[in-house]
Amino acid sequence: MVQLRPRASRTPASAMVDEGQPASEEEEGAEHGLLLGQPSSGAAAEPLEEDDDEDGDDGDDELDDEAPEELTFASAQAEAREEERRVRESVRRDKTLLKEKRKRREELFIEQKKRKLLPEDVLEKLTAAGQTDIKKASGKLKEANLKKKSGEDYEKGGDSKNTKEKVQKIQSVGQNKSYLAVRLKDQDLRDSRQQAAKAFIQKSLYGPGTNRTTVNKFLSLENKRLPVKKAAVQFLNNAWGTQRKQNAKRFKRRWMVRKMKTPK
Amino acid sequence: MGEFKVHRVRFFNYVPSGIRCVAYNNQSNRLAVSRTDGTVEIYNLSANYFQEKFFPGHESRATEALCWAKGQRLFSAGLNGEIIEYDLQALNIKYTMDAFGGPIWSMAVSPHGSQLLVGCEDGSVKLFQITPDKIQFERNFDRQKRSTVQKMLVDRQYMGVSKRKCIIWGVAFLSDGTVISVDSAGKVQFWDSATGTLVKNHLIANADVQSIAVSDQEDSFVVGTAEGTVFHFQLVSVTSNSSEKQWVRTKPFQHHTHDVRAVAHSPTALISGGTDTHLVIRPLMEKVEVKNYDAALRKITFPHRRLISCSKKRQLLLFQFTHHLELWRLGSTVATGKNGDTLPLSKNADHLLHLKTKGPENIICSCISPCGSWIAYSTTSRFFLYRLNYEHDNISLQRVSKMPAFLRSALQILFSEDSAKLFVASNQGSLHIIRLLEGSFKHLHTFQPQSGTVESMCLLAVSPDGNWLAASGTSAGVHVYNIKSLKLHCTVPSYNFPVTALAIAPNTNNLVIAHSDQQVFEYSIPDKQYTEWSRTIQKQGFHYLWLQRDTPITHISFHPKRPMHILLHDAYMFCIIDKSLPLPNDKTLFYNPLPPTNESDVIRRRTAHAFKISKIYKPLLFMDLLDERTLVAVERPLDDIIAQLPPPIKKKKFGT
Repeated sequence: MVQLRPRASRTPASAMVDEGQPASEEEEGAEHGLLLGQPSSGAAAEPLEEDDDEDGDDGDDELDDEAPEELTFASAQAEAREEERRVRESVRRDKTLLKEKRKRREELFIEQKKRKLLPEDVLEKLTAAGQTDIKKASGKLKEANLKKKSGEDYEKGGDSKNTKEKVQKIQSVGQNKSYLAVRLKDQDLRDSRQQAAKAFIQKSLYGPGTNRTTVNKFLSLENKRLPVKKAAVQFLNNAWGTQRKQNAKRFKRRWMVRKMKTPK
Repeated sequence: MGEFKVHRVRFFNYVPSGIRCVAYNNQSNRLAVSRTDGTVEIYNLSANYFQEKFFPGHESRATEALCWAKGQRLFSAGLNGEIIEYDLQALNIKYTMDAFGGPIWSMAVSPHGSQLLVGCEDGSVKLFQITPDKIQFERNFDRQKRSTVQKMLVDRQYMGVSKRKCIIWGVAFLSDGTVISVDSAGKVQFWDSATGTLVKNHLIANADVQSIAVSDQEDSFVVGTAEGTVFHFQLVSVTSNSSEKQWVRTKPFQHHTHDVRAVAHSPTALISGGTDTHLVIRPLMEKVEVKNYDAALRKITFPHRRLISCSKKRQLLLFQFTHHLELWRLGSTVATGKNGDTLPLSKNADHLLHLKTKGPENIICSCISPCGSWIAYSTTSRFFLYRLNYEHDNISLQRVSKMPAFLRSALQILFSEDSAKLFVASNQGSLHIIRLLEGSFKHLHTFQPQSGTVESMCLLAVSPDGNWLAASGTSAGVHVYNIKSLKLHCTVPSYNFPVTALAIAPNTNNLVIAHSDQQVFEYSIPDKQYTEWSRTIQKQGFHYLWLQRDTPITHISFHPKRPMHILLHDAYMFCIIDKSLPLPNDKTLFYNPLPPTNESDVIRRRTAHAFKISKIYKPLLFMDLLDERTLVAVERPLDDIIAQLPPPIKKKKFGT
């Protein structure tokens, strides 16, 4: 039988099945031990040739009269088709898996988005209460505010707010009035104003330009005017050179240890 | 009396917070004082200037103004922008109302007491209507429209004068149209509100003049400066017959060392308080009718409550600060000596525990059990109970979780002698008894207050045998409960001065009560009547020097082996009352010197009386008998407090 060389048109077709195919072909080749690694060459043809060659060589070496193995064209075609089919299926499987993954991720995102927004009825209630739009903080922040509010023993309800026309801050009351949601921005603003006010008082009383002295000097004024002058009330500065004293102590300890070791 | 070894403790680093605002109420003769840590204290000026109520502070509350409204209602406003009303019966905060104007700098009440004005940071003045339950927002004045009639509006404004901006710390508006302003340049200026011009200018200090208060009759006012001087201005006629009057600076008072940030003017006295934490009440001699000891200067420095508790078995002291507790073990000595010697310590005092409280609230009260294994303290919103374990020299702490909610805001905590029961007096008037088990607790019983009264129980005492519990409120008598049968046993008749200390004697079960006017009563609980000794001394009356003491008795204790001795102390003395000795009358020498043995018997017999007083250890914050031969005295020298205060104004003295 004459071994027909496979047509050249086959290999480009097999090569063009999918972009990912070369990689999968190579993988498959590695897995199954087939020499399909070369994408553009006559992949299906070469092993046959090599087999042929090998067989031919062996045959030549040992037995001259043995006829070369016959491989029908049909079988070779069938094999090639099998391989192609396998490769195509693997590619399809990969594609579907990827699609599923993407779908799942999108669903997750949609769910998360839904969870962030409040349920419909609560939103309706709030808009019906006639208050301006609310920027809801997440659950954790609400709890933190609650703890703060309860710690300060507040008794706020919705009524005390509604009496004031000028309410710009938003305080929304829960369904059973057991918690209070507060805009975090307002709390920060209030804190910063309080800090600014305290800083103003501190600066005007104790800042630069005020004529302040230390308590030590103040208490020592009497001592200076006595007929027998005494020292200041706090004469020693025990906070002087603490780092140096610490280092010295540490060094002394280490030196003592060394001294104890060396006679031995 | 016996010989005692005295542990002289000076490591309690107690620094009170400075006074920020003072408000005087004329109808009830009470003074509300607000401090920088947010505490508001109420002093009853007619009950010997005793601090009868207090509201614990909060870190975020920076009170800037305090005022009384009609019907004994107290309001405060601060830099957190809120107006707070205090409930004086239940001793808690009724409500807080946010003024929505930013930090509030000043507040004033209208003369008829029904309207409240606050001056806010954003320049607006808001008017609130005081309703029986709450306050209600009425109007908002803009900066320009402040010409509407308001009396006594105190405000803060900027005015650009000379190099440095001059801050006006206080303004007073009199009914004849004069406006008085005090500012940071040391000037008191009189303005005419009709023409808007400066009438008179007094330069009185080199530093800021920080506060001003006008009397009700508007003929005198008082200002306080940053140097600690308080000046009194009076409206006097120009010559003795003319009707024309002018304001004259009459009296300077130097009772403070630091800034005087708050002054108040009562009809008969000038009240001032400042950064040096003293509250000084100076009665004006021309206004006082009877010139006796009541007209003397009163300086309140030390707390009127006990901040220290003691575990006698393990020789531990628990110190209460505003935001933490400290546990110390006393040192010990093996030396002996004679009277007056100072013995060297063989083992120093040990700082065992530093327990910080969580949250911004101040600690209201704390206690350690006599065996030393339990520590309890309370803030406004929570109650904490800890179990201590001692292994050799180490100490470990374990918190008992899930304390019930009704225990919060406790005014007084007390453990029984066997440390098995915990007594808590809450500010709603109820008394709770909790049984302590190993690592957990069980709520035994709650004594509810009598119907109709919401009376907060301030002081507790338990008998050493565990049968009786005595509780005193602010106005009703002292209630005595039987713990075994869980019923009210009897009530000591009420006295018109508040109780300052309570204790029950070990075997005789006599209840000893000390009041703020320095009266001491002894009541026998089993017999339900006053004892013989108490009747005798009430008939005779106390020695006048005893009654003239300034500071209230804060702690009473007993000697385990000597039932005739009562040990009590106030800030400047401690006294052992020997009931077997004769009582002194007004002619006896009250403060005996130390009884030296070489004095003749005759003299000793003549001067021997029941009150043995020692003034060696002062100022005393706490004194107790640890065992039969040991006393512990916790002192707090005033210089140590002053050394930790903010810097004062520099004073230039010649020669320094």
